Amino acid sequence: MKKQEEKRKEITLTRRKLLTRTGALSGILLTGCDTQFYRPPTIRDGLMGVADVLTMASQRLLLSKQQLVQEHTVSEITKDFPVWNQSNPEDEEYQRLRAGDYREWRLPVTGLVNQPVSLSLDELKRIPRRTQTTMHICEQGWSAIAQWTGAPLSSVLEAAGGIKNEARYLVISAYGGWYEGYDMFDVVHPQTILAYGMNGKDLPLGNGAPVRLRVERHCGYKQIKFIKSIQVVSSMEGFGRGTGGLNSDYGFHWYAGA
Amino acid sequence: MNKPAKNWIYRHSYNARICHWITVVSFVYLLYSGIMIFLQFPELYWGKVGFQGYPAIFRLSDWGLSWEEADALGDRRWGRNYHYLFAWVFVFNGIVYLVWNVWQKSFYQKIFPTKEELSVAHLKTEFIRHLSFKATTGKEAERYSVLQKLSYLVVLFVLFPFMIFSGFAQMPAFTAISPELIDLFGGRQTARTLHVICSVALVLFIVIHLVEVMVAGAINQIRSMVTGKYEVPAGISEGS
Repeated sequence: MKKQEEKRKEITLTRRKLLTRTGALSGILLTGCDTQFYRPPTIRDGLMGVADVLTMASQRLLLSKQQLVQEHTVSEITKDFPVWNQSNPEDEEYQRLRAGDYREWRLPVTGLVNQPVSLSLDELKRIPRRTQTTMHICEQGWSAIAQWTGAPLSSVLEAAGGIKNEARYLVISAYGGWYEGYDMFDVVHPQTILAYGMNGKDLPLGNGAPVRLRVERHCGYKQIKFIKSIQVVSSMEGFGRGTGGLNSDYGFHWYAGA
Repeated sequence: MNKPAKNWIYRHSYNARICHWITVVSFVYLLYSGIMIFLQFPELYWGKVGFQGYPAIFRLSDWGLSWEEADALGDRRWGRNYHYLFAWVFVFNGIVYLVWNVWQKSFYQKIFPTKEELSVAHLKTEFIRHLSFKATTGKEAERYSVLQKLSYLVVLFVLFPFMIFSGFAQMPAFTAISPELIDLFGGRQTARTLHVICSVALVLFIVIHLVEVMVAGAINQIRSMVTGKYEVPAGISEGS
C-alpha cells in the first residue's frame, strides 16, 4: 500500500517537474487520468468511434508517465531515409522562401498564447535544442531510423508567453495545404520537437525543410513537414472538416499511436 | 428392423458457442482488413527497419503481383479502421471466453489431453487416423481427439496471443510504452513479418479445421456449434 503511494507520489513529482520545466503550460491539468486526453476532437459514429476511444484511452493510460520513446544509436541511422507524401510543395510562397535559403521563413505562433510571436529560423535555433535518434513508423508498414535536432514544442510555446487556460489543441499548418491538430498531452512531451536538423545536417527538402514536427509515439502521418504556422485553439471546429487534421478528414484515425 | 435410437449429447456450452461465432466474424474481418493493409505495402523485412528499396525477405512482386497492382487492390484506410475495431472485438471476446472457462472444470477435461493420450503410441495411431480421413465414432467421438486438443491449445494460447503481442510491437506508442516488447520480437519489421507468418499459420489451421468438420459430418458438427446438441455417430463396435 505504502509503496504504491510512494510510486504515485513519484509520478506526480515527475509530472510537476514537467510542468515547471514547461512552466508556461501549467494552465493545463496534466494528470494521466485526465479524460480529455482519452478522446479525439470528434468521435466517429457507431462502433468505430467506440474502438477509436478504446485504442486512444488505453494507450494514453499506458503513456501517462510521459515516458520517452526508445532512442537508437547513431550507428543504427538508416541510409536513404524514405521520402513520402509531398517532397517539394507546389506553393509559390514556399518556393520563394526556399530560393532565399529560408532566411525569410517565419513561424507565427498565434491563437490562445499570451504573447503571439513570429520566429525566424535563427530564433528557433537559439532555443535550447534537443537531439534524438528515433524510429519513424509509417502507417503503411515501413520504418526507418534517423537523428532529429530541433526546438522542443513546449519551449516554443514558452517563447510565446505560454498558453491560455482554454487552450486544448495545437494546429500546425504546412505549405502545400496540409494541417494537423495535436492535443496538449503530445505537445508537452519532451521528445515533441520542431526539427530543423536531420542526421547532423539541415533538414533536407524531401523531409520537410526547413522545419518539420517530430511527435514520437505516433505514425508518420502525424509528423507534419514544411511547417508554415502554429495556432493554439480550444476546438478543432473550423479547420477542414473539423475532425482535427487532414488525415482524419480523409478517414484515418486522428490518434495515430496504434 | 428398428433403427437404433439416436444418441444425443450436449457438446458445447453456450459460452463456447457464442465466443466461437464471434471469433469467426472478427477473424474474417481481421484477416480481410489485414490483407487490405498488406497489399498497399506488399513487402516484408527482417530487423528494426525496412522500406521500399531496402533488402526484403518477401516481395509480392516476386509472386506475380506488381507493387502498383497490389496497391490498387488494397485499401489501408478502410483496412486500418476495421483491423482495430475487430481487434477490440476479438480481444474482449477472448477475455470473456477465458474468464468464463477458467472456472469450469469441464473446460480442462475437454481441452487438456490426458497422460495416456500423450503417449507416443496413441499419438501415432491418431496421426495415422487423421491422415486416412477417418472420423471417430461411439465413445471416442464424444470427446475431442488428442490432436484436436493440442491444436486448439496452440491456437488459443500460442497463436492468438502471438498475434496480439506482435501487433502491439508494431505500434508507434509502444516505442515508449514498452520498447522491450519490440526488441523481444527482434525489431519492428520482424514483428510485422512474424505477424503475417502467424496469420498464415492460423489460416492453415482453419483450412484443416474445416476439412475435419467435413470428415466428421458437417451438418452434425455445425449444428452442435449452434445448438450445442451433438449426435454421437454410432460405432461399429457397438454392433447395432
